[in-house]
Amino acid sequence: MIVLETKNLTKQFGGLTAVNAVSMTLYKGDVMGLIGPNGAGKTTFINAITGLNPPTSGDVIFFGENTTGLPPEKMCRKGISRTFQIPSPFPKMSAIESVMTATVFGNPPGTIKDPVAHSRKMLEFVEFPMSEDVISEQLNTVQLKRLDLARALASNPKVLFMDEMASGLSEGELLDIMKIIRKITGQGISILMVEHIMQLIMAVCNRLLCIQFGTKIAEGPKDEVANDPKVTKAYLGSNTDEKNKAEELVAEDN
Amino acid sequence: MENIQKRQPVNTEKSREKENNSSISKESNQSLSKKGNQSLSKERNQSILKEGDQSISTLDVFLEKTGFTPVGLLGVILLLIMPFIPPFNQEYLLRWLIYAAFIAAMSVGFDFTAGYINIVNFGYAAVMGYGGYTSSILAINLGLTPWIGILIGGLNSAILGLIIGMISLRLRGIFAACLSWFFGLALMGLATKLVWLTRGPLGLRVPRMFATESNIPFYYLVIILLVAMYILCKWVVKSKIGLAFQAIGQNMDAARTSGINPVFYRVFNFTLSCALAGILGGFYAHYYAILTPEVMHTSKTVEVLAVAYIGGRGSLWGGAVIAFPFIFIMEIIRSTLSNLPGLNLIIYAMLLILVMIYYPGGFSYFFDTHIRKPKNKALRYFLNGRETSAS
Repeated sequence: MIVLETKNLTKQFGGLTAVNAVSMTLYKGDVMGLIGPNGAGKTTFINAITGLNPPTSGDVIFFGENTTGLPPEKMCRKGISRTFQIPSPFPKMSAIESVMTATVFGNPPGTIKDPVAHSRKMLEFVEFPMSEDVISEQLNTVQLKRLDLARALASNPKVLFMDEMASGLSEGELLDIMKIIRKITGQGISILMVEHIMQLIMAVCNRLLCIQFGTKIAEGPKDEVANDPKVTKAYLGSNTDEKNKAEELVAEDN
Repeated sequence: MENIQKRQPVNTEKSREKENNSSISKESNQSLSKKGNQSLSKERNQSILKEGDQSISTLDVFLEKTGFTPVGLLGVILLLIMPFIPPFNQEYLLRWLIYAAFIAAMSVGFDFTAGYINIVNFGYAAVMGYGGYTSSILAINLGLTPWIGILIGGLNSAILGLIIGMISLRLRGIFAACLSWFFGLALMGLATKLVWLTRGPLGLRVPRMFATESNIPFYYLVIILLVAMYILCKWVVKSKIGLAFQAIGQNMDAARTSGINPVFYRVFNFTLSCALAGILGGFYAHYYAILTPEVMHTSKTVEVLAVAYIGGRGSLWGGAVIAFPFIFIMEIIRSTLSNLPGLNLIIYAMLLILVMIYYPGGFSYFFDTHIRKPKNKALRYFLNGRETSAS
């Protein structure tokens, strides 16, 4: 079942095309990895879908409904939530209050009977390591990422966008995140994750989407994409290129 | 009765100390009158009763509804009896008190915007003056009673707040602050230049609200306004609207992705806080009986801003409490050093800078972290009211 689709999604900043006609399909239960070199337009692509930075052209179709250009608050109520590459907390709020914002405002009114209990459940779900009363500005990046995730989950999304959730994590923390990601998928939530850590991608994703210079170069099952020569060239560097460069250098030397 | 109270040394002494620190009084021990002491002990007895049976008393319900803590309520009671306490029954000190209460109420309205959605409304005094002019002009030209005029002034300022809110929607932080500042300057320019309507810098002669020389009715009116505005603002920020305010004030992107529509909440916040300023402007005009464009000057906003910031942003009550000692100190400085005009402005600036650098949380933060959580249960109740879980 198709959950989310983009059709020729394009985002331009002045003369610069950051995302160029990217089409992709996200199915129910998918954990799709969005990969590509730095500056390829991955975060811009997510911003365009979630409405934080609406697309210039193209369509976003969410459960058969065209949601292109809707503001993020409407997207959130429809069931798309996201975390941020740089954790984006409410600095003066306690952990439970931060999650409560999304619980109260991210769900249709009246659906959550007890927001405090629901928020607490979310903090437990992401295995938030601190007390719920701790003020956000006192947390470190790893803890903030957990909090951000809890906030994103509190609005009961159908699709979750994770922007570099695992960057800067240690080996052990990576394993924890994997476990949590599996738990999220277990709830029937589809995930689109931007990630650089191939180890994590290969472990949890079932499909991959690769973008380079704002253009899609591959989409499909993870093994297929990971072994696609275009992808290896763009993302992991190419052997032949290196060899050619080395030969050129030798030639110049002579 | 009083003696018995005094012989329970630890608690009473302590609470009195706290009370001196925190309540809206700045006078020293001697003026803590009999009445103050009695109500204090009454509070204490009630609180002990409460610890006993754990049920919710009518006082608790009342406090919860109004957003006051027992100590805050005591402060209000103290304010109500203030005009009868010796040094303050003199008319000129009463004038200071009225001005302090006026600034306190302004700081509540100001903090409602600055402390929650994190936009400093630099045109706040101008909005206040706008409300004042509305009410005054209606009173002078149409003979409208100030009681209705004040409300129309508030309404008019609310519309202005709505417009500022709408226009500044796409702007963040400092840019929205600048926009509101320019609005303020433009309004002040209008008040200066529209001489046929406002008599320009000469000032409008405004009929007073009460046809009496005494300051007492004005004092009670401004206290009622202060308390009503505090209750209203507190009630709003305690509801889920307050959560949305804080969210959009602290992190717009995260707030939006959490499902909060910033348009509604920002415009609502601006409208309400400007409406409060407009009503206060009406009071100002009908109390001082003269209204010049000077009251709309940015320095007036800065006075309110200093009080609100030193009192502590995002607390509402901080500014209201600090306003009284602050205004009194300023007035004393102004009257004793009258050969050095403008010194008080330098002191504002110094104080503000010092607070922003060394104690950005202000007085309310100090109070919350150092005074608010004593071990003693009765005292704790006295300072916090009935404790509720979360939020």
